[in-house]
Amino acid sequence: MSQPVQPVKVSVIIPVFRVENYLERAVDSVLAQTLAEKEIILVDDGSDDACPQICDRYAREYPQLVRVIHKQNEGLGLARNSGVDAAVGEYVAFVDSDDAVDCKMYEQMYQKAKEADYDIVMCDVQIHYVEENRTATVPTYPGEEIDLPDYIANGNNITYSVNKLFRRSIWEQNRYEKMLFEDIALIPALVTKYPHIGYVKQPFYHYYRRANTISTTFTGAMVDIVRAFRAFIETSDPAYREEVIYCAAKQLYWNMTQSRALFLPDFIQLLQQYKKDFLLNPYVAKDAKIKKILDFIPQEVIPRRFICVHFGAGLPQGYRRRLEECFPAGDVVDADETYFAAHQLPQPVRLAMEHGQAGFAREYYALRILYEAGGIVLDPDMQANLNLNRLRTNRCFFGFEDDEALSTGCYGALKGHYVIQALLDSYKEDNIYNKAFLPLRERLRDFFMLHFGLRPNGRNQLLQKEVQLYLPSVLAYDMQDGENCCKRVPIPIPEGYELVSRPVLKMWSTRLMENWNLYKQALNGRPAGEPPAPPGAGLSDAQWERRLQEVVNTYEQSTCWRITKPLRALSQFLAKLFGR
Amino acid sequence: MFHNTALIIANSVYQLLTAIHIKNALLPGQEADILVTDATPALQSYLPRLRETGLFHRVIRGQTAEINRQYGAKIEEINEAFQNAGSLLRWALSDELAEYAQVYFANFDLFTRMLAARLGENCAFTGFEDGFSSYVINFLREDRAPVNRHPDGIKIKEKLHKMLLYEPRLAMRGDGLPNLPLPKIPRRDPGLRELYNYVFDYKPLQEGADFIFLEQSFAADGIKSNDLDLMKECQQAVGPGRFLVKPHPRNPENRPFALGLSRKYASAAPWELTLMNEDVQNKTLITVCSNAALTGRIVFGLDLNTVMLYRLFQGKVLWKEDAVLWRYLLKFRRQFAGSNYYVPQTVYELRNILHYLGGEGRHEPTCSTC
Repeated sequence: MSQPVQPVKVSVIIPVFRVENYLERAVDSVLAQTLAEKEIILVDDGSDDACPQICDRYAREYPQLVRVIHKQNEGLGLARNSGVDAAVGEYVAFVDSDDAVDCKMYEQMYQKAKEADYDIVMCDVQIHYVEENRTATVPTYPGEEIDLPDYIANGNNITYSVNKLFRRSIWEQNRYEKMLFEDIALIPALVTKYPHIGYVKQPFYHYYRRANTISTTFTGAMVDIVRAFRAFIETSDPAYREEVIYCAAKQLYWNMTQSRALFLPDFIQLLQQYKKDFLLNPYVAKDAKIKKILDFIPQEVIPRRFICVHFGAGLPQGYRRRLEECFPAGDVVDADETYFAAHQLPQPVRLAMEHGQAGFAREYYALRILYEAGGIVLDPDMQANLNLNRLRTNRCFFGFEDDEALSTGCYGALKGHYVIQALLDSYKEDNIYNKAFLPLRERLRDFFMLHFGLRPNGRNQLLQKEVQLYLPSVLAYDMQDGENCCKRVPIPIPEGYELVSRPVLKMWSTRLMENWNLYKQALNGRPAGEPPAPPGAGLSDAQWERRLQEVVNTYEQSTCWRITKPLRALSQFLAKLFGR
Repeated sequence: MFHNTALIIANSVYQLLTAIHIKNALLPGQEADILVTDATPALQSYLPRLRETGLFHRVIRGQTAEINRQYGAKIEEINEAFQNAGSLLRWALSDELAEYAQVYFANFDLFTRMLAARLGENCAFTGFEDGFSSYVINFLREDRAPVNRHPDGIKIKEKLHKMLLYEPRLAMRGDGLPNLPLPKIPRRDPGLRELYNYVFDYKPLQEGADFIFLEQSFAADGIKSNDLDLMKECQQAVGPGRFLVKPHPRNPENRPFALGLSRKYASAAPWELTLMNEDVQNKTLITVCSNAALTGRIVFGLDLNTVMLYRLFQGKVLWKEDAVLWRYLLKFRRQFAGSNYYVPQTVYELRNILHYLGGEGRHEPTCSTC
């Protein structure tokens, strides 16, 4: 690696990972800087595309300006740390390798830094929404000079690393953590700890926002965002605590209600952890919109705990790995038959074990652990995805296996939930479920029918505002409608296929046809035309008419149709009024 | 002259069964007449055989159904009935009544009240069990019926001193009457069984079934219900070859048979005789709420597999509206019924129970050394 000759004013660090199509734009934009005394450090973070070669080419072509670090992949934060370690400039800046910067950015920001010996200098950001072909400028602060408390509370772009110039010495005591959302964890806290901040009111930084980037796609590891907010709150200068909490509240509001609702349960737990700070915050109290997040604080959340009971064998291969992918911070309770001592078990469960009815006993174990610890029971042959995280905001949830039966492959509840307690108590009674060692799903369905008015129809139901029941497509089978949280995978399934039971397939097809007919009726304002012929077609017109009427009745009695009825009536009225 | 003759009134097959038992067990050697009414038309066919047994001094036939029907509702009708009681009774009965020391009866109908008003002051009345209602209904409560506010209609209250029940501990009428035990019918007593078989002309059931559904008189009483749906559900759960419906004698047609839900039930004998004569230990009785299903337990002390469907029943019936009756059923279940008594609360639970009783899901312990 060749060293630059002139004293370097700004070291620009570009972490590089799988961006072969964008990297040159980024590097070229930095090379084009009017600031001469700069260095560019390309940190190849183990990229497996053409990026390493591109980086090396730049180093060859610009030996005085460009240095390359090749390292194994450890993520953005640690790549930036490696760049900082190698940097020699008076100030340090970061550019993401799929973005670009204006040619005057570092010259003007360095000048600003020198004006008052600022620790940090910020600029505005221009966002390019690539797919939508539009741009928007996000000003960092309304004024020309930064009033730090006001900036933390009301400014923009506070979490960005890339719109800031940092005195390099800052990095002697601060480092990015190995995590996603490392910016949120570190940068706003740095702003509070180095309050001497300058501002150049120019949108120098060009942030290209595309689909399939970390900002727009979801993975289990993204739960790091909660860790990041926690780090922000914990490591910020306590002198700005109120502003920091308000700043976090604003970010949380956006994340909870719009961009990352998938992690709502985790955000709620964060709010609960800092309950007093959020509830007593004067900024939050005055902000009607942001204040809404306080409504989440009393909401109980099912723990990120997965309960797998398996007798006679260890956890199935891949079970823990699959969970880890979606729920990296999840706790796994791995229970076998020794989890409870025999004398702790009700007699029917002991009998079941003596009679070789392991399934009966396993289901009791799972219920009991669920009651004692809270969490989500996930059978060995069930495969969960990240959507399951949403369901943690329920107090207690189950799903249908088909249009009548309930599934017991995946269900969850708060710790000590009374429904689970009641179910457990039923194992001590003289009843048919215990006599015949019936599967839990039978006990469940009857229990919910009796005590919660469950209708065994395979549809979503919220029972007495306490127990949520989901469609089979949510907790048993993936019908590819984006709603699935968990599916049964008892045998390996080829890529692109789904395993679906016959009753569910039939139920699903029927509902699709119902919706189709109703859609056509509503659209045309007249009865549907000839519907697609179902298996065993050949019905007479009168039979079809009766069938159609049944479908209409079914749909009209459905909750969604009734709720939207006034809206549809209004739209028809407006359509008539305006002649279309 | 002191008379010690007893009169026992029987309005139904069950009451006739108990009447014979009372005579046998409580009044041995004592002269007793029996009055068999036409409230259940089928009873009339048993009268000749009943006479032949010589068990009773006289077997009196009573046409009381018309009296009860015609005079029961309005106070003017009740007045008229009591004013003309002498004529009405003479007209309705096949014989003159004697001077009785005791009258045993089960129903508080107008006819019985007329008897109470007509018979001498020294005649003591004793109620005997007639199913659920004897345990839970205070028939003489003033606000229950106009006849209870009529001076002659309520005279029976002065003469009624006790109730005879097979299970006195289940009583919850709240009328303050003592509930005395009526001994269980000794099911294994061959002499008694022979007597019953003779009176009721019992013929063994040729083709039995593992599951016997005891139909009730909802159709006869004009009550719309889902009883046929429940039969169908049971039939499908256990399989047609193992399922039989015993039709209720008052229903005008055998609907389960007509609908293909059951074979023909080829016996007109009272259910209780089937219990006395057949090996029923391995059979399962299913009913909405028929007292006959409890007879085995209450009358004979048998612990049969019994599935009560009243929680699944849809229809307007007394026990669904009467809180006391409902509490009785609950009490029976909790305090009296054994572990072979099932009250499914959902149709799914019903299926599971029937599968279990049919042999599915019964497990033997696994041998740890095998």
